[in-house]
Amino acid sequence: MKELDLLKKDWQKNTNSFEQVSEIEIYKMIHKKSSSIVKWILIISILEVLLWTCLSVCFNSDDYLIKMKHPELIQYFEVFAYFNYGVILFFIYLFYKNYITISTTASTKQLMSDILKIRKTVQYYVWYNLAMLVVSLIIGFIIAFVYNPEMSVLKDKIATNGKVMAITIGILTLTTLVFLGAFWLFYRVLYGILLRRLYANYKELKKIDL
Amino acid sequence: MSDNLEHSFVKQLQENQNIIHKICRLYTNGDDAHKDLFQEITIQLWKAFPKFRGDSKFSTWAYRVALNTAITLYRKTKRSINTIEFEGRQHFLNDVEYDYEEEEQLKLMYKAVYQLNDIEKALIFMYLEDKDYQEISETLGISEVNARVKMNRIKGKLKKILNPLGV
Repeated sequence: MKELDLLKKDWQKNTNSFEQVSEIEIYKMIHKKSSSIVKWILIISILEVLLWTCLSVCFNSDDYLIKMKHPELIQYFEVFAYFNYGVILFFIYLFYKNYITISTTASTKQLMSDILKIRKTVQYYVWYNLAMLVVSLIIGFIIAFVYNPEMSVLKDKIATNGKVMAITIGILTLTTLVFLGAFWLFYRVLYGILLRRLYANYKELKKIDL
Repeated sequence: MSDNLEHSFVKQLQENQNIIHKICRLYTNGDDAHKDLFQEITIQLWKAFPKFRGDSKFSTWAYRVALNTAITLYRKTKRSINTIEFEGRQHFLNDVEYDYEEEEQLKLMYKAVYQLNDIEKALIFMYLEDKDYQEISETLGISEVNARVKMNRIKGKLKKILNPLGV
């Protein structure tokens, strides 16, 4: 291609036409803060992990269970809580491991895939917590219905009236769906803005190698 | 020790800064964006420098980190349009004795290159820098054969941009 050769010649001829940056300026630059995408993903991810860990640690159901007058439930919940801590630690380990593998000297494709892996880990963590939340809600409702004496009026109504039951289930399902939908949308927007270009470039690179 | 490292880095970067300028030229338009990307690449290079062992040339190493930053890590702070007004770039051509037809062709060619996507730009960039396909494939993480195929496609794409009617 004739035009490309022309461009190449011109490109190489113009190598020295840039305004040179002095050593002092470079010194200043390396002490400035990076605003790279990895930094933003890292900040947001740490906030996410902190938020969800706080929620799951702080949200203590013991008082409620004691009120139910069924202390054996507390034991089950303790096992559940330990399991949960284990999972949190495992995720933090994965997150850290993925983060330190990020290297700007890797190939472009590898670097992209490493960044997306960090993202995935955190995403799984968020989904795990959301799932836990839904499971807890369901268990909470069941316990409320089965053990909570205050619920007996509603219980009787549901048992005799199919309409009340349908409405109750409907409201519970709807609440859960709206909740999940809001989260999904939030993540879409948040990471959509951050990762759109990276995803596009990653797809392009993968397409070349198909 | 760390002062030594810093000094050695700054010195080498200062000598090799045109690599970064060239990448900035291809991936940004306007002086502010150019400076912005230059700074981010410098920071990324500095962060990676302790792992740079010197078993490859500083420039080879810098190419990779700089390209990765431009394609992968850099967040454009301002909305920018890929098709650039060429007028702002004319000073690159100034010291040549003017061949008007050639100059016109070059203008169009630069314009066409700016219309390529980030990955295509990376390939063209390495081609313009006379890198062989092995280095291109290693830098981007694609196979050598596919790098060749893609390069040919890009040439086709450029031709089409230059001559959309195919006459």
